[in-house]
Amino acid sequence: MAKNSNLLTAEGLDRSKIQIRSSVASNNWQRFVVGILTICSLVSIATTIGIVTILLLESSKFFGTHQVELLGQEQEVDVNVGEFITSSQWNLDAITGDKVEYGIRGLVIGTLKITVVAMFVALPLGLITAVYLSEYASQRKRAIIKPVLEILAGIPTVVLGFFALKFITPYVLPLFGEFKSTNSASAGIAVGILCIPLVTSLAEDALRAVPKSLREGAYGLGSTRLEVTWKVVVPAALSGIISAFLLALSRAVGETMVVALAAGTSVNSSLDIRESAQTMTGSIVHTIQSENISPGDLSYYSMYVVAMTLFLITFGITLIGQIIRLRYREIYQ
Amino acid sequence: MKKHSANQKREGRRKLFNTSFSVISLLVASLAIVVLVMLISSIFVTGGGALSFSFLTHDYVETQDDPAAAGSGVKQAVIGTTILCLICGAVALPIGIGTAIFLEEFKPRKKIFRFFHSFIQLNINNLAGVPSVVYGMLGLTAFVYMFSVFGRVEVDKPAKIEAGISYSYQVKTLANTWVTLPCTDKTVQKLIPTELPPGTIAMDQDGNEFELRVLAAGAARPTDPVEKQRTIKSNALISQISAKKPYYFRLPFGKSVLAAALTLALVILPIVIIAAQEAIRAVPGSLREAAFGMGTTRWQMIRETVLPSATPGIMTGAILSMSRAIGEAAPILVIMGAIKADAYTNLMEKTTTMPVLIYGMASHSNNGYEPLAAAAIIILLVVLLLINSFAVFFRYRAEKKYKLA
Repeated sequence: MAKNSNLLTAEGLDRSKIQIRSSVASNNWQRFVVGILTICSLVSIATTIGIVTILLLESSKFFGTHQVELLGQEQEVDVNVGEFITSSQWNLDAITGDKVEYGIRGLVIGTLKITVVAMFVALPLGLITAVYLSEYASQRKRAIIKPVLEILAGIPTVVLGFFALKFITPYVLPLFGEFKSTNSASAGIAVGILCIPLVTSLAEDALRAVPKSLREGAYGLGSTRLEVTWKVVVPAALSGIISAFLLALSRAVGETMVVALAAGTSVNSSLDIRESAQTMTGSIVHTIQSENISPGDLSYYSMYVVAMTLFLITFGITLIGQIIRLRYREIYQ
Repeated sequence: MKKHSANQKREGRRKLFNTSFSVISLLVASLAIVVLVMLISSIFVTGGGALSFSFLTHDYVETQDDPAAAGSGVKQAVIGTTILCLICGAVALPIGIGTAIFLEEFKPRKKIFRFFHSFIQLNINNLAGVPSVVYGMLGLTAFVYMFSVFGRVEVDKPAKIEAGISYSYQVKTLANTWVTLPCTDKTVQKLIPTELPPGTIAMDQDGNEFELRVLAAGAARPTDPVEKQRTIKSNALISQISAKKPYYFRLPFGKSVLAAALTLALVILPIVIIAAQEAIRAVPGSLREAAFGMGTTRWQMIRETVLPSATPGIMTGAILSMSRAIGEAAPILVIMGAIKADAYTNLMEKTTTMPVLIYGMASHSNNGYEPLAAAAIIILLVVLLLINSFAVFFRYRAEKKYKLA
């Protein structure tokens, strides 16, 4: 340590400069530090408890009787769970309409549509890139592609949203047909692009964890590199690859800024990717900026109901991913 | 003979598949480079022309004409992002690093505490997968409205608990000058001139105090100019004004910088923890044993050996999580709304940030904002690139300094 460097003098160790603390004081100090560190770690527990309780409490207030202004008249609206699950119409901007509609199905279908497009982009490309980096690439090519993927992973999602809205939609999609100015295809492609680095890095870790002896065994039997890769290495790393896929899936479901910019705001249950769509995350952003909402409004609570649905879906996916990773992980010596 | 040629055919096909896949996989892997080049070049083509030094130093201007000609810039957003991320880092980094030390170095032996430990670990892994917009909802209830415990937040109305703010009333005199009246009850928004107690002391703009007179309805107006400056009409509007100090503080936080920074801190907390854990885990066990052998307590060992050698890794993780915080838009959008022009005044007010401004400009009905959004993206990307290369450089230098066997 730098502060102790002048302890050694010509006469030997200068003992007057050494500070000795009693072990009782040290132990008490340690207890104090451990207390503080425990409080730090409780913050993350409190966050989880906070998310779950707040979402439960506030979204339970969504269901019940609300005073809503319809066509300029105060009316009572009975919001029930059945219609929330089965109906596909979503319209809480009650001043313009003659009735309030609150079916989550349209939002779920919108989310699903964009997620499917994103997965069609991210999973094959991400997996093949991971296979390439782990099995084929030379050191030099790896040193180029890895940093590029890291830069891609660090790009803010709002930038990718801008890219989808102002580049993919006007310049790329017209090559494939007629798309609306806001559509789920461009949003899905952009979400897929931001998932590629995630899939690649996790899948590559899983592939690299497969021991060399397995590959060498397969080569010894006369396999080509392609056969070694797809018949030996990928199956051996399958649990890691699937959990990478699931993580990308939950990331795509929860992605907000890209869909808020590029997917549009119309809630519909059409499966056409050329149409615009609204996702669950998009509806939260749309609600919070559409009017001056305050606690107690129907649309205020609607954000929590949507967030609750979103949280349940992503939490479920993350949980399944962790179970798969822990249970089906092959441990090699 | 026939069998042999079939085998050869199969052999050839296998080799063909093998070589073609190695070409395909190279092409697919290079796709990442193509996408990145396309992204950056399309943004530079759109926004390069709008980029200038004055773009950085000018405020955002809302206009239906050409915003570039109106001199619209990103000054407020740059300041807002800086302040927001500083607070966010000041909250998230100590808590995150503390949690990582607790999880890695204080592993308990008792079964119940071990369970608690692994529960925290599982919980952090799950939190890392929660969409950031859900954190926004958490922040909206917990920080903005504070569960409505301290009453509701209303625009332009005083909060129940606040500090660093002074209220007064303002009214126009007959001479069209403004005078201020002291405020005793902050919940009263307006005063009625005829109900003012006689002998009310007012103050003019120069700081002179005098007795305010109310002109009765139908009475003749005074002719003396000094008297005119000290008299108000009986139907004059006396409205409340407030002066906020830089340290203005209130409960609940409302839609404010502080609420957004705390929410953002929760968003990046799992990232900080996981990065710091990895850095601490990389410290070799022999160092710990050497320290214990000298009779240190566990905390002394951590402070003197683990933390110094884990610092480069921890700092790299911290910098990378801060760059995530800089680019994050969704939770801030939920807390403060899609605002574009609000400059930072104090912790309890809204301010715009770079990602939120980019979102606002990209979704603006006026297409003239498109180049400006691209120019703002260029600034954001350059800042992120600088921060990330600083992290890499820092790790490189620190690794040389604390070279471990």
